[in-house]
Amino acid sequence: MTAATLNAAGNAMPQDRTPTDWTSPAMRQRIARRYAAERRFKLMGLAAVTLSAGFLAFLLFTMMSNGLSGFIRTEVALPVDFPRSPLMVDPAMIKSGNGAQALANANLPAVTTAAARAAFGPEGETLLSESAWTALRDAIIADPSILERKATIAVPAASEIDLAAKRTGSAEAEAIVAKLNAKDALSSSFNMPFLTASDGTDPTQVGIWGAFKGSLLTMVVTLLLSFPIAVLSAIYLEEYAPRNRWTDLIEVSINNLAAVPSIIFGLLGLAVFLNAWMLPRSAAIVGGLTLALMTMPVIVIAGRNAVKAVPPSIRDAALGIGASPIQVVFHHVLPLAMPGILTGTIIGMARALGETAPLLMIGMRAFIATPPGGVTDPATVLPVQIFLWSDEVSRGFVEKTSAAIIVLLVFLLAMNGIAIYLRNRFEKRW
Amino acid sequence: MATTRNPVTKMAARDVNVFYGDKQAIRNVSIDMGMDEVTAFIGPSGCGKSTFLRTLNRMNDTVASARVDGTITLDGQDIYASDMDVVQLRARVGMVFQKPNPFPKSIYENVAYGPRIHGLANSKADMDVIVEQSLRRAGLWEEVKDRLQDSGTALSGGQQQRLCIGRAIAVQPEVILMDEPCSALDPIATAKIEELIHALRGRYAIVIVTHNMQQAARVSQRTAFFHLGTLVEYGVTSDIFTNPREERTKDYITGRYG
Repeated sequence: MTAATLNAAGNAMPQDRTPTDWTSPAMRQRIARRYAAERRFKLMGLAAVTLSAGFLAFLLFTMMSNGLSGFIRTEVALPVDFPRSPLMVDPAMIKSGNGAQALANANLPAVTTAAARAAFGPEGETLLSESAWTALRDAIIADPSILERKATIAVPAASEIDLAAKRTGSAEAEAIVAKLNAKDALSSSFNMPFLTASDGTDPTQVGIWGAFKGSLLTMVVTLLLSFPIAVLSAIYLEEYAPRNRWTDLIEVSINNLAAVPSIIFGLLGLAVFLNAWMLPRSAAIVGGLTLALMTMPVIVIAGRNAVKAVPPSIRDAALGIGASPIQVVFHHVLPLAMPGILTGTIIGMARALGETAPLLMIGMRAFIATPPGGVTDPATVLPVQIFLWSDEVSRGFVEKTSAAIIVLLVFLLAMNGIAIYLRNRFEKRW
Repeated sequence: MATTRNPVTKMAARDVNVFYGDKQAIRNVSIDMGMDEVTAFIGPSGCGKSTFLRTLNRMNDTVASARVDGTITLDGQDIYASDMDVVQLRARVGMVFQKPNPFPKSIYENVAYGPRIHGLANSKADMDVIVEQSLRRAGLWEEVKDRLQDSGTALSGGQQQRLCIGRAIAVQPEVILMDEPCSALDPIATAKIEELIHALRGRYAIVIVTHNMQQAARVSQRTAFFHLGTLVEYGVTSDIFTNPREERTKDYITGRYG
């Protein structure tokens, strides 16, 4: 009885519906709308990608056009008449190999000033960088025989002249440059000291090496601390920790920690590492510790996701032939999770490399004119150096700031390149 | 129930209960599994046959909420005793899973991994012998001998499953547990695995869980029928399929439910 009614109802259904007309105008309109919607979506996506690529290109172009001139320095051809100059040096000492030591006390700055006045008039020395005498020193060491004759040596120009030669200087300076050019006394060369010197007060003498080395040391400390601790935490939390209120609390804390503003970590570093542990100020070790705290949660989160993504069948397989839990982790889970962990590490380390705020709190903004010899020496890092130079009054620092940004970007790309190479290697092993 | 005794018992369970949290998955199962035999567990989905299989090498230990009552013995030794080393137990009681799960490493490494972690090979030459012998027993040697360094995951499904059997054999287990080893395979690959089970019988005690009653009839000497977490009937396979004692067994094997 029940079955019969059901059947009757079931049969009635198809009769209620007319056959679908797939070619009706309404249907065609629906198809046209569907195509239009897809086209619109594709165009919007393309526009979004183009816009971001455009911003990136604009950034790179501005950095390059402002910064590349920072790697070039203007040099003035300075004629020096060594036999008649007030030079106090014994040529025999230079030949014996102790040239730098002998010339350090040889009154070279006075020689330079005298030569500049002779060549360019009473205020001649103002055309030259304060470090111009080092060019004389290097020339004498390279070829001591010039001490017996008159020689023309290319010495770095003063900041104003340098800027004017690059067409960004003041009107007066440009006039002087025009005069020097008429005498064919100006040339430009690669600014090697920019890559080998450290911070200074004269923009023609500053270099990035100190900050670069500081960044390198800080990153090494950060990586050595945060990577193993974070990976072990991620594995412990995923593979060993029981699921209870405590582990939930830890998970929430780690997720929140990853979102804490970085300057808070700086305050923590100040309170704990400097005030409580009495570690040295401005040192790479403290910067590294502080940034490690900041980087760890990022790696833990990425690591846990990577460990979670390893298929359980692999664990079963290993357990099933008698692997111990630790063998399962280190022989199977960790190698398979490594690409994911490395991705998290790249993100965390890239963020740490670009971090300025927490390092200001622990004193890494100090003026440091010598590169750090180790992790406990006072140091500064690239982003802080950029921040400091961008704050300088002298216009010569503008191009140095942009040049430092280029160095930072190259550092970042190199670091990411290594990480991506490692990631691909791990992926290929399987 | 389950009064038929094997001449030589390899593994025996007495009054085993398994709980997942508050839910009881296995109720009072007692069963003996013979040394030279293939024992099949059949039953409808969710009847507990796989759960019970996983208690035999303590794979249930990895599930935090699982709890096992009663005794299970291997050669008379209680495997849930506190002095039983789980890692060694799993080497003695190997397992093959439903879905082929080779390690994402080379074929050679897949087989060599077990012997290596248990220190069963003294040299590279030793290991080569173990790998060849295991793959021969798993019926895979002829197909892969020229490409041992290829990835195990590049093999076909049936080959992968035979590789997993070879991997289990390589640690010289006494018992091999197979959890629906053919459910993800096509009929030809299934036939090969069944031949392999025939070939391995006698050397290892084999316990196989299967959905496929014809398979149970083909490969096993004894069959246990599980339903709703209880062992309904256990006996010689031909008796179970031709002359079941219990009404529920009869209904199941004639396709009334399942």
